[in-house]
Amino acid sequence: MPKPVILCVDDEVVVLESLKIQLKQEFGDIYFYEMAESADEALEIIEELREDNIDILVIVSDWLMPGMKGDEFLIRVHDKYPGIIKVLLTGQADSEAIKRAQHQANLHRCLYKPWNAKELIETIKSGLA
Amino acid sequence: MKKPVIVCVDDERTVLSSLQTELMDALADEYLIETAEGGEDALALFEELLEDNYEIPLIISDCMMLGMPGDELLKRIHALSPKTFKILLTGQTNTEAVVNALNHANLYRHISKPWETSDLVLTVSEAIKTYFKDQLLDEQNKALKKVNATLSQTLDNLKATQQELIQSEKMATLGQLIAGVAHEINTPLGAIQSSVENIATFLNQTLEHLPTFFKEICLEHQQDFFALLKKSIQHETFLSSKEKRQLRKTMVRQLDEHRVEDATMIADTLVEMGICDNIEAFLPLLKAPKSQTILNTAYQLASLQKSTQTIMAASERAAKVVFALKSFARYDSSGEKVPTNLIEGIETVLTLYHNQLKHGIEIIKNYAQLPPVWGYPAELNQVWTNIIHNALQAMSYKGTLKIDVTEQDNHAIINITDSGIGIPDEIKQKIFEPFFTTKPTGEGCGLGLDIVKRIIDKHNGKITVESVVGKTTLTVYIPINPNEEKRHA
Ligand SMILES: Nc1ncnc2c1ncn2[C@@H]1O[C@H](COP(=O)(O)OP(=O)(O)O)[C@@H](O)[C@H]1O
Ligand SMILES: [Mg+2]
Repeated sequence: MPKPVILCVDDEVVVLESLKIQLKQEFGDIYFYEMAESADEALEIIEELREDNIDILVIVSDWLMPGMKGDEFLIRVHDKYPGIIKVLLTGQADSEAIKRAQHQANLHRCLYKPWNAKELIETIKSGLA
Repeated sequence: MKKPVIVCVDDERTVLSSLQTELMDALADEYLIETAEGGEDALALFEELLEDNYEIPLIISDCMMLGMPGDELLKRIHALSPKTFKILLTGQTNTEAVVNALNHANLYRHISKPWETSDLVLTVSEAIKTYFKDQLLDEQNKALKKVNATLSQTLDNLKATQQELIQSEKMATLGQLIAGVAHEINTPLGAIQSSVENIATFLNQTLEHLPTFFKEICLEHQQDFFALLKKSIQHETFLSSKEKRQLRKTMVRQLDEHRVEDATMIADTLVEMGICDNIEAFLPLLKAPKSQTILNTAYQLASLQKSTQTIMAASERAAKVVFALKSFARYDSSGEKVPTNLIEGIETVLTLYHNQLKHGIEIIKNYAQLPPVWGYPAELNQVWTNIIHNALQAMSYKGTLKIDVTEQDNHAIINITDSGIGIPDEIKQKIFEPFFTTKPTGEGCGLGLDIVKRIIDKHNGKITVESVVGKTTLTVYIPINPNEEKRHA
């Protein structure tokens, strides 16, 4: 039985690596962790996973990325998969973007960079609860 | 208004009265005609009139008078009222007096006695006319001088304002830069913070389990464990998330073939550790009942390594940004040109713009070897900043930025090309003018290229522009000038 997935999106590879280490440290083998360096790549992964009937539980996305921004990405995902829990992880606060994500993508939380592992884990746990 | 006064002086009453009547007949409507019977008398009258603010356009004085002679009187009058026109009435033999009055009293005319009335009136009218003309000129001159003073004050103010504007343009560009730079420092700081957290977690949670862990696994697995770790630590190639996914898929297939359980999870961990090939050697370990624990412990240790690498890379990146900031702001305190590395300056600016560039700008650099150029480094940084800023705006931060640096005929030539909207021919001549802008307020005040031009002028260089839609090149020429170099050496 394939494990459900937590998907992280950020154009900075170091951020993705940190996220993965933190998630693995906390949740270990319960979930599977997918990393994407852009919204487009993330959308591709989502489609692949859905074809294989694998569940995506949580998406943690950066906001300022080349190409599609985080809020637009989450809104797109929400249109198709309203059940996925969505978290923004952002360096710069763009209140308009956060508002859009809240209203149109049912944003669960918005975390600010630099973040700490504890708040990330708690945010994900509270979403999954 | 008071009528202007004409003063007549003669010590012979008959002459004086005929002078008075003749002038009154001709001019009484517009002038007062006053008389004095000698020099002293005339001076007293003059002082009185001046005190009462009368205009005295003309004095006519006899030459031969008892007491004070006419030329002496006119001399004194001249000291009192230089503007007043002076006419001397002379006999046949008064040449000396005439010359004296001419030299010392600015004598206007002399009229020989006996005179013709018409001559007298004509001369007097001429004198008065010239007097008022001069006065008008004088007033106009004064007014002009006043305007001039105001203008030069205005010019000074404008110059000060211009300095302020140049400063504020610099600050505006700098402000936008700083926002980007803040992000640029925040990212490595975040990476450092989470890496340190990961290390701390490891020390708190995993470290204490290590002794038991090693006791519980057999010697053979211990060896495999260290081989795995060694391979992971030696792995240095950087993998993108896509490449990792690809490698994982291949590995899952391999593991499945060898009937290793939980292939996806194991493949993920191995790829994260940078172990992508020759997994056959580890198959015994992976098939062991405790494989999960062994692999995870190895992964934890490997991520310790990864965290330190991240911290190193991140500190390097932050240090690079700080260095760029420092050299950008370097103050040319000496006010003298110093040997300047142009390419370093351009790189500094690009580092500071990194945040605005990485989302959609492809940078192509062609740098030739350049000797140092005598110049003002901070000001040249301003040149690259303003040109690159315009280029980015013209491309809406998406496109290609090409920077070519070459050397030719003892000049450094810097080409900065963007793939933006281009500059229409009609405005190409205007873009270097101060305040010329096609941008909405907030995005530009039209001073950027004016500042650029001045700085380049200061370096005896020049700047040219070539543009079609989709390709705009600004070319800066800076003389390298080895003579100056020798002089300073
Ligand atoms: N790379 C470029 N591409 C297109 N237009 C440009 C470029 N550089 C300058 N310009 C034009 O020149 C004008 C003046 O530039 P500048 O002096 O820097 O002032 P500002 O950028 O504040 O408008 C700009 O408004 C723009 O119209
Ligand atoms: Mg500009």
